[in-house]
Amino acid sequence: MSKLSTGSFSIEDLESVQITINNIVGAAKAVAETKAVAETTGPMGPTPFPSIATLRDWNFTLFDRYEPVYTPMCDQCCYCTFGPCNLEGNKRGACGIDMKGQTAREFFLRCITGCACHSAHGRHILNHLVDLFGEDMPINMGASNVIAPNIQLVTGQQPKTLGDLKPIMEYVEEELGQLLATIHAGQEAAAIDYDNKAMFAGMLDHVGMEVSDIAQVTSLGFPKSDPEAPLVETGIGTLDASKPIIIAIGHNVAGVTYIMDYMEEHDLTDKMEIGGLCCTAFDMTRYKREDRKAPYAKIVGTISKELKVVRSGIPDVIVLDEQCVRADLVVEGQKLKIPVIASNEKIMYGLPDRTNDNVDEIVADLVSGKIPGCVMLDYDKLGELVPKVAMAMAPIRDAEGLTAIPTDEEMKVLVSKCVECGECALACPEELEIPEAIAIAKGGDYSALEELHDLCIGCRRCEQVCNKEIPVLNLIEKASLKAISEEKGLVRAGRGQVSDAEIRAEGLNLVMGTTPGVIAIIGCSNYPAGTKDVYNIAEEFLNRNYIVAVSGCSAMDIGMFKDADGKTLYERFPGRFERGNLLNTGSCVSNAHISGTAHKVAAIFAGRTLSGNLAEIADYTLNRVGAVGLAWGAYSQKAAAIGTGCNIFGIPAVLGPHSGKYRRALIAKTYDESKWKLYDSRNGSEMAIPPSPEFLITTAETWQEATVMMAKNCIRVSDNSMGRSIKLTHWLELSEKYLGILPDDWWKFVRNEADLPLAKREMLLKMLEAERGWEIDWKKKKIMSGPKIKFDVSAQPTNLKRLCKEA
Amino acid sequence: MAEFPFEISPMFEGERVRKEGMFVELGGPKSLGLELVRAADMDAIEDDKVTIIGPDLKDMEEGKTYPWAMIFNIGGELVEQDLESVVERRVHDFINYCQGIMHLNQRYDVWMRVSKDTAAKMDSFEPFGKAVMMLFKTELPFIEKMQVTFYTEKAEVEKQLETAKEIFKARDLRTKDLHDEDVDVFYGCTLCQSFAPTNVCVVSPDRVSLCGAINWFDGRAAAKVDPEGPQFEIAKGDLLDASTGEYSGINVVAKKLSSNDIQKIKLHSFFDCPHTSCGCFEVVGFYIPEVEGIGWVNREYQGMAPNGIGFSTMAGQTGGGKQIVGFLGIGVNYFYSPKFIQADGGWDRVVWLPSMLKEKIAETIPADLIDKIPTEKEATDIQSLKAFLEEKKHPVVARWAAAEEEEEEEEEEEEEEEVATAAAPMMMPAAGYQMPSMASMPMMPMMSAGKAGGIKITFKKAKISIERMVISEKKE
Repeated sequence: MSKLSTGSFSIEDLESVQITINNIVGAAKAVAETKAVAETTGPMGPTPFPSIATLRDWNFTLFDRYEPVYTPMCDQCCYCTFGPCNLEGNKRGACGIDMKGQTAREFFLRCITGCACHSAHGRHILNHLVDLFGEDMPINMGASNVIAPNIQLVTGQQPKTLGDLKPIMEYVEEELGQLLATIHAGQEAAAIDYDNKAMFAGMLDHVGMEVSDIAQVTSLGFPKSDPEAPLVETGIGTLDASKPIIIAIGHNVAGVTYIMDYMEEHDLTDKMEIGGLCCTAFDMTRYKREDRKAPYAKIVGTISKELKVVRSGIPDVIVLDEQCVRADLVVEGQKLKIPVIASNEKIMYGLPDRTNDNVDEIVADLVSGKIPGCVMLDYDKLGELVPKVAMAMAPIRDAEGLTAIPTDEEMKVLVSKCVECGECALACPEELEIPEAIAIAKGGDYSALEELHDLCIGCRRCEQVCNKEIPVLNLIEKASLKAISEEKGLVRAGRGQVSDAEIRAEGLNLVMGTTPGVIAIIGCSNYPAGTKDVYNIAEEFLNRNYIVAVSGCSAMDIGMFKDADGKTLYERFPGRFERGNLLNTGSCVSNAHISGTAHKVAAIFAGRTLSGNLAEIADYTLNRVGAVGLAWGAYSQKAAAIGTGCNIFGIPAVLGPHSGKYRRALIAKTYDESKWKLYDSRNGSEMAIPPSPEFLITTAETWQEATVMMAKNCIRVSDNSMGRSIKLTHWLELSEKYLGILPDDWWKFVRNEADLPLAKREMLLKMLEAERGWEIDWKKKKIMSGPKIKFDVSAQPTNLKRLCKEA
Repeated sequence: MAEFPFEISPMFEGERVRKEGMFVELGGPKSLGLELVRAADMDAIEDDKVTIIGPDLKDMEEGKTYPWAMIFNIGGELVEQDLESVVERRVHDFINYCQGIMHLNQRYDVWMRVSKDTAAKMDSFEPFGKAVMMLFKTELPFIEKMQVTFYTEKAEVEKQLETAKEIFKARDLRTKDLHDEDVDVFYGCTLCQSFAPTNVCVVSPDRVSLCGAINWFDGRAAAKVDPEGPQFEIAKGDLLDASTGEYSGINVVAKKLSSNDIQKIKLHSFFDCPHTSCGCFEVVGFYIPEVEGIGWVNREYQGMAPNGIGFSTMAGQTGGGKQIVGFLGIGVNYFYSPKFIQADGGWDRVVWLPSMLKEKIAETIPADLIDKIPTEKEATDIQSLKAFLEEKKHPVVARWAAAEEEEEEEEEEEEEEEVATAAAPMMMPAAGYQMPSMASMPMMPMMSAGKAGGIKITFKKAKISIERMVISEKKE
């Protein structure tokens, strides 16, 4: 065919044809033509490059069962100068918006903000990497065919090179603009349409995240679908304080790679320490580690540790990029002579921009204290500047013994100042019993203060309300010095995507049900009761042979705890996409690989069309892939966007108790039987289904409650008997173990006796007979009548009438 | 339900009893360990009975290793000898469900440990035996009566071992000697239909399921447990073609289960009406037109096959419950079948295997062929593959001469051919097939046509999305 370079063709008989041409460029090379068409290989679904209205039907289908529940944070709207308007008691504001609409708008605003963060990160790193490696650099995500499941699902495109990611980014940016416009007063009225937009923003978020991670995994030598990615040291205790220490904070590793290159070129990797907080840390440990060599960069911790690390005085220089960076780091750093270098235009902190200056002059200005920090956007210079500052500052700072942690004597004085007024406890987002702990400390016993250390999210609200100006955080850290020095864990470096081959191998267990579910633990560190919750949850599900996928800050915290043999979960459980495995996809943007895994199951294992086919793939996932997300410490707008993106893809998410502050949940009425029906696509007939998942996004109060909820909501209509039996076993056992009761609705999930948990079958049959009047044939141990839902292994459940064969 | 002194749950499956936490070790590498399930007459079985010959748990010394044999007898109207091995395979699962009891391996390699915690809760093996039998009878209700004998004395264990080895030998022989023609029924499995709606999995004595998890005996046992369940009998009907393995009964079931998408399935054919491929097959076979042969690549192989495509790409084109001519998903054990793609030349047609797969199945590769089949070490592309096959005089080489003649003829009609190929990707989906888009296949039929006056393309209900269209003027 390639020989045919010219000719003509005619098109006849066009029927219901829609041709969309986005961008026509004249007078380029003929080879480009081949490329443009080659990208769209394979069949295309109905919704490539959707806009706000395109997937509204699908979202409304979801909202019909999963109804939005609004929990306003305040009764007022202050968006425009007509206001502030009091919306209490069904009043409408000056513009006509009501409380539901305003609350939905607030939630939606969180979603687009989160989406913008990931996408802007993606845009920055994509441009940067294209500059470095060129548009033609082929994408490499490991041995897979489906390399961009979210991008392909949403846009229908199958990017092959870095350059191919640019039009994807342009699409996300265009839609974000459209969405942001609707925040304006007088732009949308119905709450449910804000919810539709929120779902759309969540979807875009996963596309933006995927672009980010594909670009960096491809070009920066990150592990590529590698279940044996190296283990990384994590925790503040792993830093050797005798060496100069660089601390990188944020999410975008672009600039930090130059610092690491400089350290390597100048043989400094064992002479100084580089550690990271938040997701930059993860990406530092992935940088050039596809060879599985143990990283020298360390993961220090989450945003909750930022202030604690600074106050410890350990860092000799801080380098920032973007997202999840505390707004008071310059002020805090200045007190302890820790220079702050801002490396990304998104956070410039009011610091002088020294991008065009000589590095040694900047070092001199920082060391002399002439400037507390600076902006440096030239990465070659950044790479040289930061290590030089660290080396220059370390001896000075060591000599002065700079730390905010009080001495023993100071501690006694500070503790005695406390009048136990209780203001700090009121201000504390975690409602910690600070006054009580300080009262105990007055007697010289710091154990109660030490107990607060893991529960404290390091926000400093307590200090600001203290009438006696006690630096409460410093007291807690002083009491915990031993515990902090022992904060040493291990986490597996982000492995990137799940490979096609793993999907295929695990698909069997998903079908058989011998893998009871996929639990995705993601998100931030705003835990209601300390970091150990996520470890407990992960361990429980791993012991029960679930697949546990993790990313970001939760992945770090899970690695901080050890069993009796001194082993972390990452050492105990391998990192494949396989039952009883713990896989860390990587940083915040690597969350796209978790949602992408669900799309891959539908596309690879079930052979569904992936391109531009969101509703069908999401419908498939909702009905058949027993996956539940958990953002136990979600604090950020990004977490709202990630979770909402999962929702449109048919994946339910559980959030921690703080997440009620996101203001919107999607919860189904389990008692309303009319909501629990689907079509059987073999003939379009209606089929009754069990009430699971019973929510798309909701909160739990305790980790025990969350655990039971997740086990229950891994149940899917398509489970075969073995699968249902295993899923029921775990749900019932967990409910008895953590809540002390058998759930009251377990029988709704029983279709026949083979669905019942093996070890309890006889007891449960008796209960069904006695309590529900089901007829049991005791000789055959068979259920003769009772269940409302019939089991048919070949049924093809769907919410989408259009997928049904005509009856 | 009888209460047991320890908890029973699948969550204990992966539980390890370490040396420090172990009360006693039973069997294992330092001793003898055996498990055996035997069908017996209903009258010969005292239901739920546990017999212990040799020292019981309370008489055992902490930290020691004891020889161990457990012989289960099962009885019931539907119980037959052919089911013994299937039932026996579940011993591992059910013992591991018991908290604090570790079980590894099978047959005469059994290795168990009892934890201190669990040993503290009982002084006899009796409740353990009862728990395991409870699980068996619950999960497999065709077992109406069951009893077990535990042996912990060396002499007794040795005696049981000797008898058992004969039984295992006979059993293996039976499995090996049982062929499609020896049985009246095959088994179907629709488990994968939940993922691949038109997939029809047919399991016969000479063809294991694609996932490798279900052989004919497993199918038989499962169909007995639950006749309405996902595994069921297929009356094989009339033999329509012995070479391809076409049976009238299979065709009837294929039509029914695929909602008429699949008309015929021929068990041992690669090209003509091959078995459907679900999504979880262990190995995919692919036709290499350049050498007229078939290569096979397993799921674990990460590299490329000589056609420049890896497992995942090929699997992507093969799966979804469709019949894809040129690709075929199989279970590894199908390589051991005497009827292995016999319609298309069997092993004589196999021209490439990844080395890890070749090593694994070496014993079943015909001796005269084993050195003639290259792996990624010898052939990485079509050229080197061709050269290797030619040099080793692989049987497929004989097919080439004939093919070359045909090719020459074809070249004369080149232009027409191209037009036909160009239109093919548009037409194929309509016929219910998935057209594999090979790397070598022309990607853009529409942009340029032959000099012979252009081509005609008919679109119906199409939605064409073009992200960026580059139009260039002709420079010459």
